[in-house]
Amino acid sequence: MNTTRRKFLKSSSLVLSFAVGGKTFLLSPAEAYAQSVPLAVLNESDATTLEVLAEAIVPGARVAGIRNFIDSQLSADSENSLLMIRYLGVPAPFAGFYTAALRSAEKLAKTRHQKHIAALNSEELSQIIDDMAQGKVKDWQGPPAEFFFFVLRSDAADIVYGTLDGFERLDIPYMPHIKPEQSW
Amino acid sequence: MMNNAINSLDKVDLLIVGSGAAASIIAAKAAQAGKQVLMLEAGPERSNKDLVSSQLWARRLKWGGSPVEEEGNLKIGHGFNAGWGTGGSSMHHYGVWPRLHANDFKIKSLYGKGKDWPIDYEDLRPFYDRVQSEVGISGDEKLEKWRPEGAAYPMPGLPVFKQGELIARGFTALGRDTAPIPLAVNSQPYKGRNPCNYDGWCDAGCPTGALANAQTVYLPQAKVAKANIIHRATVTRILTNQKGDKVVGVEYCDEAGQSHKQMADVVVLAAFAVENPRLLLASATQAQPQGLANSSGLVGKYLMTHPAGNIYGLFKEATQPYYGATGGQLINQDNYDDKAARKGAFGGYQWLIANALKPNGLLGIANTRPDIYGPKLDAFMKQAAKHMATMVFVGDDLPLAENRVELSPNKDKYGVPLAKVIHNVQAETDLMCQHAVEEGKAVFKAAGAEQVWSGPRVGMHILGGTIMGTSRDNSVTNRYGQCHDIPNLFIAGTGLFPSSGAVNPTFSLHALGLQAVEYLLSEWAGIV
Repeated sequence: MNTTRRKFLKSSSLVLSFAVGGKTFLLSPAEAYAQSVPLAVLNESDATTLEVLAEAIVPGARVAGIRNFIDSQLSADSENSLLMIRYLGVPAPFAGFYTAALRSAEKLAKTRHQKHIAALNSEELSQIIDDMAQGKVKDWQGPPAEFFFFVLRSDAADIVYGTLDGFERLDIPYMPHIKPEQSW
Repeated sequence: MMNNAINSLDKVDLLIVGSGAAASIIAAKAAQAGKQVLMLEAGPERSNKDLVSSQLWARRLKWGGSPVEEEGNLKIGHGFNAGWGTGGSSMHHYGVWPRLHANDFKIKSLYGKGKDWPIDYEDLRPFYDRVQSEVGISGDEKLEKWRPEGAAYPMPGLPVFKQGELIARGFTALGRDTAPIPLAVNSQPYKGRNPCNYDGWCDAGCPTGALANAQTVYLPQAKVAKANIIHRATVTRILTNQKGDKVVGVEYCDEAGQSHKQMADVVVLAAFAVENPRLLLASATQAQPQGLANSSGLVGKYLMTHPAGNIYGLFKEATQPYYGATGGQLINQDNYDDKAARKGAFGGYQWLIANALKPNGLLGIANTRPDIYGPKLDAFMKQAAKHMATMVFVGDDLPLAENRVELSPNKDKYGVPLAKVIHNVQAETDLMCQHAVEEGKAVFKAAGAEQVWSGPRVGMHILGGTIMGTSRDNSVTNRYGQCHDIPNLFIAGTGLFPSSGAVNPTFSLHALGLQAVEYLLSEWAGIV
C-alpha cells in the first residue's frame, strides 16, 4: 500500500465504497464515474438529469462523479450520509427528495422545449436553471425548486471544490490536521 | 416500535443522558468524587481518529437521531447545531468561549424583557475562572475591554492572519477596537495538549487536542475515574416513583432494539436543549400528566437561538482565508452591553471576525453567493478562495414562552413522539439584526473591501426550553439545574439559560455544570 502523504490526504478526502459485481471497491466518485460503476438507487434517466443540471451549475461536477456520489450517499443510511441535506431539516430517506425534483426538471424541459433536459442547448438549460433558482416554475413536484437548486449546487460544490483535488484547483492549501497520536 | 422484554440493570449512583460538554464535566467531577457514573449516549462511539479533515466527512458529527420538526421565521437549525456520538455537539463546536456579561443575567430587571436568571455574573465568575484554568483559553483580557472581571487567560491570544488584519483596519478606521477572540484553543502547549496549527478545520473536529471538547478534556478524566459510557443507547423514558416526585432511572433501547431499565439514585439530562424537554414531556405519568418536572407548564418553553449573519467582502489584497480558527481571529463587543441603545430594537450583539473559510459546506465560500452558477461560479471561487474575508454577528434572542418544544403527533422508531420546535423572532430582534448588518457593511467598506455583501439570517446555538429560576412558578429548575418538582432529577446544558445573551454558550454551560455538580455532591445525602 502506498502510504505517501499525497495518498493519505486523498484517502482522507473523498473515497467511498462502491459495489461492483458483488464486490466492494474503495473509489473516489470521479473514479467510479470513469469506471461506469453501476448505480444503486438512481435510474439512468434521473442520473442523467442530475449530472446535466449539476454540470451546468458547477462546471466539473460530471467528471468529479456527481452521479456516483449522490447515488452512493442515497444508498447509505442517513446517519452516515455525507450529503448536506442531512442537516437541512429534510427527513430521511432522501432519495425521494432528489428523484421528485429531477423528474420535475425533466418534465419542465419537455413541456417547454419538447426535448429531454440532456438535449437542451446551453441557453435553454440556463433559462430552466434560472427559473429553478428563483422558484419560477409551474407544475413542479417535490421540494421547492429554489431549495433543490441550492442543495444540488452545494452537492456539486462538495465534490468539485471540497476535495483535495478541489483545493488544488483553487490553488489553496488543504492542510489536514496532524494525525492524532492517541485516542482517549 | 421497540417493545422487547425489558432487561433491568444494576443501579448506579449517577446516570447522565448524553456525553457532550455538559455531561462530561459533571461525569468527571462526580466520578472523581467516588460516584459510580454511567453516561448513555444515543450516537455511536467515536474517537479522535474519526475526525477527518473534510467538510463532507464532518457531517457525520451532526445530529443523526430522531428528526426534529421545525417551524417559524428563524428556525433553530437543530440538524446543524446538535451533535451525534461521543462528545455530542462539542465535537464540532468552534471553541469560541466568551463570558456572559453582567446585564445578560438581569434583562427583566434592567429592560423589562424576558427573564432574569436566579444568579448573577458574580455567582458564576469563580466557576468561569476555574473552568478556564482547567480547560485552557487563549485570549488577551487587556485588549478585550468589554470582558467582565475575571482571571487572566492562561494562554496568549492566537495569532492574527491577513484576513483579521484587513478587517481590523475597518474597525480602526471607524474608531473601534478589536481583540483576539477568547478561544478554547491552545496557542501554546497546555496541560499535555498540543498547540493549534491554524488549519481551519475546527468544525470538522480537532484530533490534535488543541481545541477543547468533551473528548480532549473531561471525558478522559471521567474515564480515568471509572465512569462508563454506553453508546447506541437511546433513552426513551424517564422513570419515576408512583407519586412522581422522584426519578428511579430510565428506559433505553440499545442498537439491537433491546429495551433496558437502568436504575439510578440521581439522573442528569444532558441531551441538549431539544431532547431534554422532549424526554420530560414524553415521560408523562398519571401523577404528572403534562410531563415530568412540569408543574410550571414551562417545560419546552422559552426556547432560543442566537440570530446571526455573516458579512462578506472581496479585497484586492490576499486574505489567506484558509488560515486560523473556524470561530474567527478577533472579537468586537462595542454594541453588546446596551441592549436598548438602538431605536425600536432590542438586544446586543458581538462580532466574531475573520472566520477560517473552506470552499464548500453550508458556511463555505461557494454558498456565500448562492446566486452564482456556471462558469461565473468557478471564476468567483478562484478569486474568493484567496481574497475573501468574513465576520459574523451573534445577537440576543428575546426569551418568549411561545417559542417552544412540544411533542409532535409523529413518533420515532422507538414509539416516542418527535420534538416539534416553533421559533420566531420579533420585530425588535429583527431591527437589531438589521443594525448589525449595516454596521458590518460599513466596517468592510472602511477596511477597503471592493465588494461587500451579507448572508442570510441563521440560528446559531440552541438555548432554553428547561429554564432555571427562583421557583416552580417561573422555571423548571433552580440555579443548579435541579428540577423543582423532582429533587433527584437535574438538567444540564444550554437548556437552562433563561436568556440567551449574545455570546457563544459553551463556556457558560461548563461553568454552570461545575457549579451544579459541586452542589449535587455536597448535598448528595439529602437529594437521594
